[in-house]
Amino acid sequence: MKAAENKRAVIVGIFVLIAIAILVTGIFTLGGQQKRFEKTFLITAIFDDVGGLRKGNNVWFSGVKIGTVRNIEFYGESQVLVTMRIEQDVQRYIKKDSKVKLSSESLIGNKILVIVEGSPDAPIAESGDLLPSIVPLNTEDMMVTLQKNNDNLVGITSNVKELSARLLEGEGTVGALLGDTVMADNFRSAIANLDQVSENTVRASGALQNFTAKLNTEGGLANELLTDTMVFSQLKTAVTQLQQTTKSAANITENLNEATQKLNTSDNGIGILLNDEKFGNQLKNTMGNLETSTEKLDENMEALQHNILFRGFFRRKARQEAKGN
Amino acid sequence: MKEKTKSKFFLSKKIDKVFIKLNDIWLFVFRFFKEVFVPPYEFKEIVNQCFELGVRSLPLISLTGFIIGIVFTNQSRPSLESFGATSWLPALMSIAIIRAMAPLVTALIASGRVASKIGAEIGSMKVSEQIEALEVSAINPFKYLVVSRIVATTLMVPALTLYTALVALLGAFVNVYQFEGTSFTSFFVQVFEAITFLDVFSSVIKSFIFGFTIGVVGCYKGYTSSRGTEGVGKAANTSVVTAMFLIFIEELLSLQIINALRIVD
Repeated sequence: MKAAENKRAVIVGIFVLIAIAILVTGIFTLGGQQKRFEKTFLITAIFDDVGGLRKGNNVWFSGVKIGTVRNIEFYGESQVLVTMRIEQDVQRYIKKDSKVKLSSESLIGNKILVIVEGSPDAPIAESGDLLPSIVPLNTEDMMVTLQKNNDNLVGITSNVKELSARLLEGEGTVGALLGDTVMADNFRSAIANLDQVSENTVRASGALQNFTAKLNTEGGLANELLTDTMVFSQLKTAVTQLQQTTKSAANITENLNEATQKLNTSDNGIGILLNDEKFGNQLKNTMGNLETSTEKLDENMEALQHNILFRGFFRRKARQEAKGN
Repeated sequence: MKEKTKSKFFLSKKIDKVFIKLNDIWLFVFRFFKEVFVPPYEFKEIVNQCFELGVRSLPLISLTGFIIGIVFTNQSRPSLESFGATSWLPALMSIAIIRAMAPLVTALIASGRVASKIGAEIGSMKVSEQIEALEVSAINPFKYLVVSRIVATTLMVPALTLYTALVALLGAFVNVYQFEGTSFTSFFVQVFEAITFLDVFSSVIKSFIFGFTIGVVGCYKGYTSSRGTEGVGKAANTSVVTAMFLIFIEELLSLQIINALRIVD
């Protein structure tokens, strides 16, 4: 009986011990997880609006939980002073110019405070420091922006509606494009032509490539022209000479032009000869008279040959000519 | 004669009965507190009752807790799944089990198993005049029967609550692991992230109150039973019903007090 009683007592003892062990383990795990037993320091920040932040909410730094909100109290007229309990281990990362921002764990999660890192040269924050806060974009502001977007969206959709109605009715070029089969055929053939053109372009570019390759062939005229500096200088000289020749030709043409112009005027001998009709007639008469005079002179000369005075001379001359032959 | 009958009751027969009953309960509780701190202490009987009421309830409560953990997790999943938040299951289960289910389920099962046992045991001793026999043999029956049992239930229900919480969380983990593949570490990190010291301590304190209630109700109903074997059955039955009813009332009140404390904290 006594042994059985002792056994029961031992079992009860073990039972209670295990229960206490569960409780203690739970408390230590909870404390460890919530960093209740770690050394901490306090920093504060002032906000205009904390958006439902509560005591015990988390404080994050670079996405890591480093502390909790210890106290929330009013400050001044309507501002809120938030005191945060931060782990001592991370104190060296929190600078005096680090900023505190109100955020939330997720879209529907708890409110949290996020400490934004300060400048590397700034001194480390100490217990009791007041860090500057960043005014967050609250839901109301977001909703206002969203409402603007909604209005714009309504405008856009109504425009699209109108546009689609007009398209369906076949209005405008695009409407016609959608409804007109002839235009569609034309468009199709244009595309086909374009396709052909592109093919030709490809072919032409191939040919051009061959051509340029030939141009680049060493020893070829074009290559020589492009690469040989001697040929180029000679060509340059030739062109200069050609230019001078052209210049001289131009001068000649000019002189000729001037001479021609003079020929067209009647203030010089040849001009009168060419242009003066009266002088022409006079000259014609003169020439007629001269012809008549010449005929008469010819007759006179023939008569002279038969003249007694000059007959001997002509006989002597005829004999000399006969001798010469 | 008529005037004499009238003067027998302060307000009316029924109302007077209620207040007399309340007075009896108060005196019973008061007597417990008077006796518990006064030697001689019945340690052996307390240990014996701890074994009978606590250790022997462990298999039943562990199994119930484990099944509740699995079932509750499984039933909560569709609601969270509908907005893609099944990753919140560990946190949800943690809050549900630690804050409410572990103490409440333990207390309800204990009231079913323990309160009825105490009620029937003491009731049968009462109707068979064993309590008077104890008195004759110079043993304080109140101390030996009532104090030991109330102390045992007050100590054992919190211990059972802790076991239930652990086992129910393991049940929840099994289910979460099966469907979401969450690791053991990740699950328990999330479990402890969701709860606070207030949750743990309030649950433990609440379970002390539940244990005390179960003990007091069982003992009172048994100690005040009458009318033979029928009275024993009635004592066992009313012990369970009253204990459960009071547990729910206490749960409701404690909820209000803890929430008020949570806001202050």
